[in-house]
Amino acid sequence: MPRRRRIAAVRPNAEFAEAAERHLDDVLAFLVYLTGDRNVAEDLTAETFARALERWRRFDPRRGSARTWLCQLARSTALDHFRSEERRRRREGRYSVDVREPVEAPFGSGLSPELEGALARLSAAEREVIALRVVVELDGETAARVLGISVTACSTRLSRALQKLEKEVSAGVAA
Amino acid sequence: MSPLELVDDRFEKLASELRAARPIASEELRERVRSLTPPPPPRLELNLRRFVPAAGLAAAAAALTIAVVLAVVRGSNPHPVAAEKTSASKAALFPRGLVQSASAARTPVHGAPFRLDLNKALAPSVSRLQRYDAVLRVRVASQEELSKQTQDAIAFTRNAGGYLAWSSYSAPGKGGNSELVLRIPIEHVQEAIADFTAYGDLVKQQIVLKDLQQKVDGLTATIVRLQEDLVKIHSQLAGILSPEQRAILEQRLQQDKTRLAALTSQRASTVRRAQMASVALAMVVGPKPAAAPAGRFHRTIDDAASVLLRELELLVYALLVAGPLLLLGGAGVLAGRMMRRHSDRRLLERA
Repeated sequence: MPRRRRIAAVRPNAEFAEAAERHLDDVLAFLVYLTGDRNVAEDLTAETFARALERWRRFDPRRGSARTWLCQLARSTALDHFRSEERRRRREGRYSVDVREPVEAPFGSGLSPELEGALARLSAAEREVIALRVVVELDGETAARVLGISVTACSTRLSRALQKLEKEVSAGVAA
Repeated sequence: MSPLELVDDRFEKLASELRAARPIASEELRERVRSLTPPPPPRLELNLRRFVPAAGLAAAAAALTIAVVLAVVRGSNPHPVAAEKTSASKAALFPRGLVQSASAARTPVHGAPFRLDLNKALAPSVSRLQRYDAVLRVRVASQEELSKQTQDAIAFTRNAGGYLAWSSYSAPGKGGNSELVLRIPIEHVQEAIADFTAYGDLVKQQIVLKDLQQKVDGLTATIVRLQEDLVKIHSQLAGILSPEQRAILEQRLQQDKTRLAALTSQRASTVRRAQMASVALAMVVGPKPAAAPAGRFHRTIDDAASVLLRELELLVYALLVAGPLLLLGGAGVLAGRMMRRHSDRRLLERA
């Protein structure tokens, strides 16, 4: 392989490896909140990075950071997963959640049981905005871009999700 | 500043707890991601974001290249305005039917005002009788020029011994035209044509020469023969004849005399026609036509601009035709995207 082509092939891989190392936790946290299942989230994280490696040549840093791009890819991968799951459940005529083994502390170790339960009772749409804005700590504009909505809609959605989470936590404590 | 501060400070405690318990990737997952191997580079990867600007640039470059190539090809030919003047010049020097020496013609310099060279203008024959008809069309700058040149043409004709056969003059608004049919002695017609073409921009010139000598010679021969017949008839009538013979001869004499008079008149008319040339001079008031670009380079630039303009017209036409389809397609894409978002949202709410 000519030296120039070899360098061109190696450089993107090195950049990808660096980006993967830096943003792996962010992508995993986002997917854990989105799916509510640690095992599925790990599989989807690996799938996300496999897709990212395939498409790394298309990544344009001028259009956004690698973290934003990876979160968009992760969301797309998760949506594909949800669609295939829904198709499977429809085909089998029953919900897979019924047979899913409960995972201990799916949203991270150290959370109170009330908060853990409250998060589990939120919808994936509510959890994803909390994950992006609170856990991954994206700013409003970037989070809105990942979700494909306006900044105002993103703020509203976050506010409502947090209110619901707080309500659920209070209800859990009272119970 | 925490991103959450933009939303609400009430949830700060909740946010802190969530961040503190943030999921961390296991070493196993890290290894799994590290062990990912890059796929072989695709031979042809179509990236629309890069392809569209590149295709646009390529199309613009192709359009420019086509324009320049066409302009170079066309620029090597004479400019239409110059060609018009050249043809007018050739028509003046070598009218139709008399182009056997056209190779001797000199093309006027592009952009230079066209003036007839008196020494090279088609000259009537001095040894033979000829009919000389000229049609000139000259564009003058203003109504004042039109009036002045009309008077000048009539004065020139009268001074040359000719006369005005017919005229029409009108100058409505800022325009105007003057049409004159002049009879000019054949020996002054060259000078007259040279003078008239200098009134403005010559836009049309046609000269028709027709030999009349043969016709006049034929008429002369017939007249001589008739005169001889008349002498014979007179001598026969002087002799002894029967009344019937005399009546026949007198009838013939009368017929020949009538015919002789007609032929003599016809010959005189033909000779007069050959002595006076007919010049139809039309002058119009109009803007000066765009001068032919001075050089090949300027012609090339001019042609390239016109080709580019034509390409732009075609592009606008194509957009007008394809516009509704593009709008429909765009609307379809937007609708599809909105439906997809809605479907994703519902899917996440159910999940």
